[in-house]
Amino acid sequence: MNTLPGLARSRAALSAPAVIAAVIVILVLLGIAIGGQVIARQVVSGLMLGAIYMTVAVAFTLTIGVLNFLNFTIPTLFMLTGMVAWGLVARGYLAFAGGWAWLAGLAAGVTVAVVASLLVERFTFRYMKMKHGDATEHAIPLVSSLGFLLIFENLVLMTMGSDSQRFAVPFKADIHIFGLVIGVPQLASFALTIIVVAGLTFILRSTKIGRALRTIAENPDTASLLGVDVGRVVPIVFILTGLLSGVAGALFTVNYGDVSPFMGDNVGTKAIAAMVLGGIGSIWGAIIGGLVVGLAETLSIQFFGGDSVQITVWGLVLIIIILRPKGLFGAAPIGKGKM
Amino acid sequence: MTDTPALAVNAVSKRFGGLAVIDNVSFAVPLGARMALIGPNGAGKTTLFNLISGVHPIDSGDIALNGRAIDKMPPRHRVSAGLARSFQNIRLMPHLSVIENIMLGQHTLADSPAALLNPLAWQRNSVWRQRAEESMRNAGIDVDPDAAVTGLPYGVRKKIEVVRALMSCPRLLMLDEPAAGLNPRETAELSTFLKSVGWEGLTLLVVEHDMSFVHDLCDRTVVLNFGRLIYNGPTQGVQDNAQVREAYLGSRRVPTKEAGRVA
Repeated sequence: MNTLPGLARSRAALSAPAVIAAVIVILVLLGIAIGGQVIARQVVSGLMLGAIYMTVAVAFTLTIGVLNFLNFTIPTLFMLTGMVAWGLVARGYLAFAGGWAWLAGLAAGVTVAVVASLLVERFTFRYMKMKHGDATEHAIPLVSSLGFLLIFENLVLMTMGSDSQRFAVPFKADIHIFGLVIGVPQLASFALTIIVVAGLTFILRSTKIGRALRTIAENPDTASLLGVDVGRVVPIVFILTGLLSGVAGALFTVNYGDVSPFMGDNVGTKAIAAMVLGGIGSIWGAIIGGLVVGLAETLSIQFFGGDSVQITVWGLVLIIIILRPKGLFGAAPIGKGKM
Repeated sequence: MTDTPALAVNAVSKRFGGLAVIDNVSFAVPLGARMALIGPNGAGKTTLFNLISGVHPIDSGDIALNGRAIDKMPPRHRVSAGLARSFQNIRLMPHLSVIENIMLGQHTLADSPAALLNPLAWQRNSVWRQRAEESMRNAGIDVDPDAAVTGLPYGVRKKIEVVRALMSCPRLLMLDEPAAGLNPRETAELSTFLKSVGWEGLTLLVVEHDMSFVHDLCDRTVVLNFGRLIYNGPTQGVQDNAQVREAYLGSRRVPTKEAGRVA
């Protein structure tokens, strides 16, 4: 029953940004104090990476919270954005745009992700709803979203090859703070993810469509008897999902200069880890979870080497769900019977 | 004006598997009337409500609201057409606040894409919020509008559900056991409130076991038994009707005004 608990009570949600900001500042200062600049740099890049995980984790948690459905196409939407943007730029389709080529490519990539997400809605969710009256009682949306993941991935593989494509990051500028070198695109990305997630939180909490979404999350049958157009509101979840995954994919592409048909797999599993860690169905849980996973990843590389990342991240998830099965911010485990 | 009834149920039947839960039921609720729908447990009262509000499709027959056929419409269009209902087991949204739950009843009133994204609908002094708070006060719901509904007393939540149903300005309000679980004082208050909200053309159809509540509120009554309509007439005559007495004899209880609650 419980969904999006971070949004249910506005007072509790309002203090969360302050908590996050305080935690970030403390971590950076602690990093500088204990480990010097090396650690501080890892903390900063961990938070940047965490911002990307966070955005994808919010996409996961939104679909689970409202529709009780683990949408496996999210990593593909992430990948599609990167590959479409890179493909358009590298093959010179956007040469006419000059210096704006990358921005145009990324915008096209995000658009493709949103359209693909709507396609998934049409052929998994709506189809089941029309045919059987409900969608989540069946495992079919889950299985067909897994199918879509593989189909999209292999479509990209067929058209663009399976190689990982490395390229020089398109935007490059650094600023120096306390002796730390921080890339401007990274900083801008971090700010953008915060804006996107804050915007989503605002829509969910403070608009009529957000209230309709939260109502459907609680009880779609009653929502429909009260006049909520469930058929029109559900695609909005998929549009938001496409947008979040697409923005995350775009930011990953410009910051790391590395795309491949499989780039979504790693981010997808980390985002699921982040969501579980934060508490399934909780937006603030996904935000904190994403940042924690990003930090755990870079610090693990620093201390134990690159091969230790999965062990650290999933070890952390296992410890947290043993200590707190609902995750850090989840109020109740999500059960059946929501839609 | 013509004599078009607020609700016309015509030869409606519904089977679940082999069981005829609603069997060729016809009745009409005149415009502006307050009608009760009673019957022993399992008679099909809530099922009939579900058919009218669109939870299940009907097998045969037709249902008209103010002369307009609604039986093929999805539930939300029936709401737009002027139908509102409450539920036997309270169905408020537990994670929404009191005022959010009540404002949910207004959902169909402004439903353009712009209105859906307009955050102004949420400002503390928007017309929508003011209207919801005013309705809250009129119904005597004396709690913090921003409180969570989960912890509130049963009687208050019951009232919130009635107010939520009223927020869409319905022409037909269907209440499923509104007095169940209320104490006598709350029941009397609810009856007074329901009589007072009767704006012109508001029609009431009430499923209720509490016969003193029914006598107090409703002038007409229909009785269901095993999915069939066995009585349709003034509430006064219901306990003198032989068929109704027989239907209730199985439970050795006869719905009389004096007996109060029958089951």
